[in-house]
Amino acid sequence: MASSKKLISREEWEKRLNNVKIRKEDTNKLVMNFLVTEGYVEAAEKFRMESGTHPDIDLATITDRMAVKKAVQCGNVEDAIEKINDLNPEILDTNPQLFFQLQQQRLIELIRNGKVEEALEFAQEELAPRGEENQSFLEELERTISLLVFEDTSNCPVGELLDISQRLKTATEVNAAVLTSQSHEKDPKLPSLLKMLIWAQNQLDKKAAYPCINDLSNARLEDPTF
Amino acid sequence: MPSATVNKPRPSELLSRLTSAEPEVKVRALREVKNQIIGNRTKKLSFLKLGAVPAVAGILADSIDDVTENNNCNNTNNFLVQSAAALGSFACGFDAGVQAVLDAGAFPNLLRLLANPNEKVVDAVARALRMIYQSKLAPKYDFLQQKNMEFLISLLNSEKETVSGLGASIITRSCETNLEQKALFDAGILRKLNSLLEGGSLSQRDASLESLATVFRNNPEVISKFAGPEIGRPLSSIIDLAKDRYPRTRLLACMCLIVIRNASPHFLQDIGIKTKLIHILLELLDDPGQVGDEAPFAFSSLIAQKEDLQKLALEANAIDKFHHHIKKGSLHPRRYEGILLALADMCSKLESCRSKFLSLQVLNLVADALTDYNAGVRAAACICLKSVTRSIKNLSAGYFMNETIVIPLVQLFLDPSTSVQVAALGATSNIVVDFTTRKSIFVQCGGMKQLVQLAKSMESSVRSNALWALKNFVFQADNRLKEGVFSELTASLLSSLIRDPEPSVQEQALALVRNLVDGCINLIEFVFAEDGLILGAIGRQLQCASKAEIGIQGMYALCNVASGNEFHREAVMQLLFTQMGDKNQSFVVKFLQSNDSQLRTATVWTIVNLTCPSSPGAPCRLEKLRNAGIVSQIKNMVNDPCVDVKLRVRTVLGQSMAFGDN
Repeated sequence: MASSKKLISREEWEKRLNNVKIRKEDTNKLVMNFLVTEGYVEAAEKFRMESGTHPDIDLATITDRMAVKKAVQCGNVEDAIEKINDLNPEILDTNPQLFFQLQQQRLIELIRNGKVEEALEFAQEELAPRGEENQSFLEELERTISLLVFEDTSNCPVGELLDISQRLKTATEVNAAVLTSQSHEKDPKLPSLLKMLIWAQNQLDKKAAYPCINDLSNARLEDPTF
Repeated sequence: MPSATVNKPRPSELLSRLTSAEPEVKVRALREVKNQIIGNRTKKLSFLKLGAVPAVAGILADSIDDVTENNNCNNTNNFLVQSAAALGSFACGFDAGVQAVLDAGAFPNLLRLLANPNEKVVDAVARALRMIYQSKLAPKYDFLQQKNMEFLISLLNSEKETVSGLGASIITRSCETNLEQKALFDAGILRKLNSLLEGGSLSQRDASLESLATVFRNNPEVISKFAGPEIGRPLSSIIDLAKDRYPRTRLLACMCLIVIRNASPHFLQDIGIKTKLIHILLELLDDPGQVGDEAPFAFSSLIAQKEDLQKLALEANAIDKFHHHIKKGSLHPRRYEGILLALADMCSKLESCRSKFLSLQVLNLVADALTDYNAGVRAAACICLKSVTRSIKNLSAGYFMNETIVIPLVQLFLDPSTSVQVAALGATSNIVVDFTTRKSIFVQCGGMKQLVQLAKSMESSVRSNALWALKNFVFQADNRLKEGVFSELTASLLSSLIRDPEPSVQEQALALVRNLVDGCINLIEFVFAEDGLILGAIGRQLQCASKAEIGIQGMYALCNVASGNEFHREAVMQLLFTQMGDKNQSFVVKFLQSNDSQLRTATVWTIVNLTCPSSPGAPCRLEKLRNAGIVSQIKNMVNDPCVDVKLRVRTVLGQSMAFGDN
């Protein structure tokens, strides 16, 4: 079948690319937005000094937020909760889903450390009421409790709860909640831009053959193939 | 090393540490209490019961004294922040907590602390106050006092989000009357809120939208002043926010626009905005959180009582979308209730909507909701049923009189919640207007007996709605059914209901009698049972009828009695002429002169039946009526503006001429 796609050579493509003007300040803002949202304080501070770009958030608040995120990532959930409450007591008071997730993480840490009796006591005193207050948590609660039933937790159906990835998941949620409470967007813009790039290329693929970027990490143009 | 919970002090132990002499112990205990209650409703309740709130409020008060005496700043600030945060958490979404905080006298202290120089203190205090103002129990803010208005303006002008947010929440909670709305407008508050809409942060925008909606509610004057040409086109900023990236902002913007639409016929009436609002709200249903829970309520406020919007929503597949969401199951009760009420509004007027509803088999899902553990959901399911059962086509086909619906519905008659009972009765009232021979199903599942029981309820709304359902049940029912109802009710109960203290109950009781005696002549004997208890009650009630509707139903009941035999007609005559006190005028003349055309009609109909030429006693009765001035009154009504009255008047006069009257 004859292709009705237009062919664009590398030369022509690069010529067109060069014609697109992007302001340095805009790219700087994107970088700063990324550093700030993800919490790279020192990098943000250095970047500010070098480029003169103003962060859209007070860098001091980033330190607090990162302390919370780190505490969750290390499994120090109780410490994380205290820190969040010092930052803004409203966050956990108005976000039952997040609060439940943090308490669930506490239970997981107790189970991980083999503190079965304490885990049961904690589940009864702290988690069961959450299930009473909100039925949608019951299923997740049951999943977590069932960890106690299995001797070999690494092979049980809910074993993924003990994975470090669970901590990271919770840490991301916490980070997002803190950012939102500070009226800042919880997602950095850069990944969205990259998504849009991929989407645009997918759309163009239907109509043309052109040098495209297949590896986002090096953004190298690869020659068009038929 | 991951931490674990070790050596946690008991709540009572913590509380005693709150009164410790050592500041270190005290502040640590305070912080611990705060951390235990945040997010934890159960703990809030248990600490509350132990008296934690007065203890914490006391610490706040003491710390204020320390501030004034300039004692140890850092420590004091810490106490202030922690105690304010704890109080705020007690008040967060927890009415018992709000009440406790107010009772402990913390409110004035919190207000004073808004002027504190320390930022963290102000933040904590502003948050606590905002939690209080989110509750219905918050003290009423008097906007009409000058210094209060100035204080509010200073709050809104603050750079701090927490403080301006507090200002907005005070407006949202306390602004109620048109006078207050106007005062806020005159003080320039709306302009300030508008600037927060356009230039503020996410939370400021959301807070502004809520406050604006409160000030606009039912106040077309303020709306037109706001939307007027001087301020540019502020409505457009709200419309833009309806397309914002954040779902909560979209919802609040829609709610604000709906308030404006409903209050003022001049704004937002074009089909474009109507369609947009419908689509945005339906799309918000997909949000898994609170926004999605509240979206159906906003949808209801948009379409309720408005056929044009219901039609547009039908075309936008609203019913399909609601059906899709209910089918998913395990809904948050608030969302479930909202969707059911939205469906009720959709089907309230248009047969096309009801057809769509029934064709999608949504009825089964609604029947399931009748047994839900949440009272709000049960009531909403009943209200939805009431709307759908207005479909005469399907009622006639006996579609609803089946066990899947009737049995759970009848069970709700015994529901612990009055509002559920009343809602169930409302749905029943429609369902029992069944034109097939299947009314007996209702009797079989004990429904009729239950209705009679409910007619004896302590709640007047339950009594009147039960009677309404019975009235519809006996409407054109066969004799056997009617006799069953009457023997269950008994004459003494029915007559006491006719004489009930509540007018709405009186009206329904009289209407029930009207339907009972309608039709077969044997049924008229009901009103004569036990020495004419019911007839007597009707007569007494008509003499002191407090509203037209009572007169209407009573007269139609008498009219039906007078359609019987001579004995019946004579009994009615006697009733019409019983004097009460020094009144020379029979209530008949009063009714004939009423402004209410239905009442006039009913009364003339009764006279028609009393003077029917074929009955031997007619001339005599006519004479009596003439002597009482009733005939001449009727003569004056030859040109009555109401056609029904005019026609019946002619019948009476025609009949009177048959007896040689001029």
